[in-house]
Amino acid sequence: MWAYIIRRILATIPVMAIVALFVFSLLYLSPGDPAAVIAGDQATPDDVERIRASLGLDRPYLVRFGAWTWDILRGDLGTSIFTNLPVSTMIQQRIEPTLSLMIVTLILAVTIAIPMGVVAAWKQGTTIDRCVMAFAVLGFSVPVFVVGYVLAYVFALELDWLPVQGYTPISNGFFPWMENLILPAVALGGVYIALIARITRASMLEVLSQDYVRTARAKGAAQPSILFVHALKNAAVPIVTIIGIGFAGLIGGAVVTESVFAIPGLGRLTVDAILRRDYPVIQGVILLFSFAYVLVNLLVDLSYTLFDPRIRY
Amino acid sequence: MKRRSFLQAGAAGVAGTALAGPALSQGAAARTLRFVPQTNLANFDPIWGTQYVVRNAGAAVWDMLYGVDERLVPQPQMVEGHTLSQDGLTWTFRLREGLRFHDGEPVLAKDVVASIGRWMPRDPMGQMIRAIQQELVAADDRTFRWVLRQPFPKLLYALGKTNAPSCFIMPERIARTDSFTQITEYIGSGPMRFVRDEWVPGARAVFQKFDRYVPRNEPASWLAGGKRILVDRLEWVVMPDPATASAALQNGEVDWWENPITDLIPVLRRNRNIAVDIADPLGNIGSFRMNHLQPPFNSQKVRQAVLAAMSQEDYMRALVGDDSNLWKPLPGYFTPGSPGYTEAGGDILKGPRNMDLAKRLLEQGGYRNEPVVCIVAQDQPITKAQGDVTADLLKRMGMNVDFVATDWGTTGQRRTVKTPPSQGGWSMFHSWHAGADCVNPAAYSAIRANGDGAWFGWPNVPSVEQGIAEWFQAPDPAAERAALDKVNSEAIEHVVYAPTGFFLGYQAWRRNVSGITKGPLPFFWGVSKT
Repeated sequence: MWAYIIRRILATIPVMAIVALFVFSLLYLSPGDPAAVIAGDQATPDDVERIRASLGLDRPYLVRFGAWTWDILRGDLGTSIFTNLPVSTMIQQRIEPTLSLMIVTLILAVTIAIPMGVVAAWKQGTTIDRCVMAFAVLGFSVPVFVVGYVLAYVFALELDWLPVQGYTPISNGFFPWMENLILPAVALGGVYIALIARITRASMLEVLSQDYVRTARAKGAAQPSILFVHALKNAAVPIVTIIGIGFAGLIGGAVVTESVFAIPGLGRLTVDAILRRDYPVIQGVILLFSFAYVLVNLLVDLSYTLFDPRIRY
Repeated sequence: MKRRSFLQAGAAGVAGTALAGPALSQGAAARTLRFVPQTNLANFDPIWGTQYVVRNAGAAVWDMLYGVDERLVPQPQMVEGHTLSQDGLTWTFRLREGLRFHDGEPVLAKDVVASIGRWMPRDPMGQMIRAIQQELVAADDRTFRWVLRQPFPKLLYALGKTNAPSCFIMPERIARTDSFTQITEYIGSGPMRFVRDEWVPGARAVFQKFDRYVPRNEPASWLAGGKRILVDRLEWVVMPDPATASAALQNGEVDWWENPITDLIPVLRRNRNIAVDIADPLGNIGSFRMNHLQPPFNSQKVRQAVLAAMSQEDYMRALVGDDSNLWKPLPGYFTPGSPGYTEAGGDILKGPRNMDLAKRLLEQGGYRNEPVVCIVAQDQPITKAQGDVTADLLKRMGMNVDFVATDWGTTGQRRTVKTPPSQGGWSMFHSWHAGADCVNPAAYSAIRANGDGAWFGWPNVPSVEQGIAEWFQAPDPAAERAALDKVNSEAIEHVVYAPTGFFLGYQAWRRNVSGITKGPLPFFWGVSKT
């Protein structure tokens, strides 16, 4: 097990190196010039060139890549071209809102979707099942921003129960923190509730037709025990997998949600950086996301051993 | 049940309200003004970065030697006044008493000299002054002298203009930073202090009232007069989504929104707690620029063909919708309502559009169906709307349009390329100019027609440049008027660029906020909140 974990962690190094090379090259080749953005409309070509030189953007590809790689290896993500702040500081400023949004969304999605999927499988073919599936289709079909606007209109503007926008750090109190996260988490969670509920239902249907479930019923086990103790644990592997995959989707979904609810998170930081061609910030954030994705996949793989003793690493 | 009690009430049975964070008292809330700026404050060096948003924040933090008032006349701000030698070459300025930087140090003449020295290389007027400057020296702590080799009558306007970069006064040690390198300290001289620790670029910027600032006694008028700050704290809340900003304003989560989009104005107007008014009477001028170096727009006739066919109403309705109060046709280049406004030579832009004339001009210009590479930034609503109208116009004229949908960052790079469109260059791109920049030629880069030194498109029209030079040297308003007429008519004749019309924008604020004025930038002095 530990050997497997160490192997997997070591395997992230070439993955991260490839991601780094890819991201750097892509940005190098993509059109756009931060020096022109900084210089503004009044600038002469000489002004733009001076700014480009001061930012080191006039250096050859290999020199820039080498310098950047060396900095990364020393733990330095660089400095934002525009804000003049270290990229690590900017990430620090933004990581809490994004993590909070992701965690609350995942908790919300898992706690709603799994019981929904289990009940739908149990009541297969009934109105309850059809309602759950209809909700799932709706959850997939309605874009996050539409849900976000509707929620903001109803719960913030009309009812005045929750704020429209912003983020309150958890250090200011749990309830103020939650107050800002409920609407975005519900908006972002819709699609994951739908996804997890469908997978749970499909996985449960397969497990519920197994002999050991029939045996449990024959022994007189209570229905909740059959569903949540006997069946769900054995149906868990695909569900955990889809939660892991969903994490990657959350990163993309957070970009939209953070914009709609004006949450100062990493998603908005990434979009702003891309639009301005703030290369060090884009590179730093994408590296972080890649690392997080690799880490989550590792955790998902490890979690399989908890649900299925036959799996050994 | 209202918002502030919703979660607490729901949670009371579970955990009580002890976990909730401290709430602002009503008094503290009234002393904090929450403002939604036009865009993110991504950097805070108003000389290095010349974006309007940086200028707007900079005007609160750094003071200026002169400031233009609402009549566009420069008035003394940090100076008591000046004297000018009889030959018009030596300007001597004396700073007023009581000026302090935000670190408590007094503002001295040497700080001013260094600040002007950093501003000049980045500003078109500054560059003109630097080219004729003999010396700029501090005579004593409060006096500095500027000696020129030839008269420059518009010098006070250069020091007090609203256009970015404005001549903000910083401490000498900061102002000695190369103007192409970003400063790292934000020690201001103006009425508000920048709270760097609370700055989250892309999300929030915070400013606090600087108690030791000594405002002038005159009433405030734009950048001139007594800049009295009536709130303790100003929070800029960045909201990329207009619908969110609208909802936040309606909900009372923010107090003032700098630039609501016109689609949302009816919604805001229906809310009795919100006031809506024109933001800047000087508005904006829409434009697209044609590349004078490459076919087909290297032909004056082809450029004129586009002017003959284009309907400014089409452009303006695409930009501002059906609200006729928000736009005006513009048969010229200077801002309507400003003293420099003129329609001289603008006939080609007036009256019914003449497609037959346009087609004749195209033929005379030798247009041979070359592709017109039309660059349109899709992430800027103003450029996108104009680009769609232009593409349709050119197709109706029978031109071969290569519509390049891209983003503003890419446009910014590609428009600098002078090679033919087939080799990465371009034929036309869309933009817009703040009306405050277009009141006269002083800071109006887009009107320049000095070839390689001109703005993108690189028009080379000596008669336009001659008119601009005459305006700079004009001894009186009549001579200024004659020069502007000349610039306008020659620029239209040679189509320096195509003006798509003059349009205004709105601002909106909660009715418990008072003192908001119309102007080319948001002025925070005189604004209070109850």
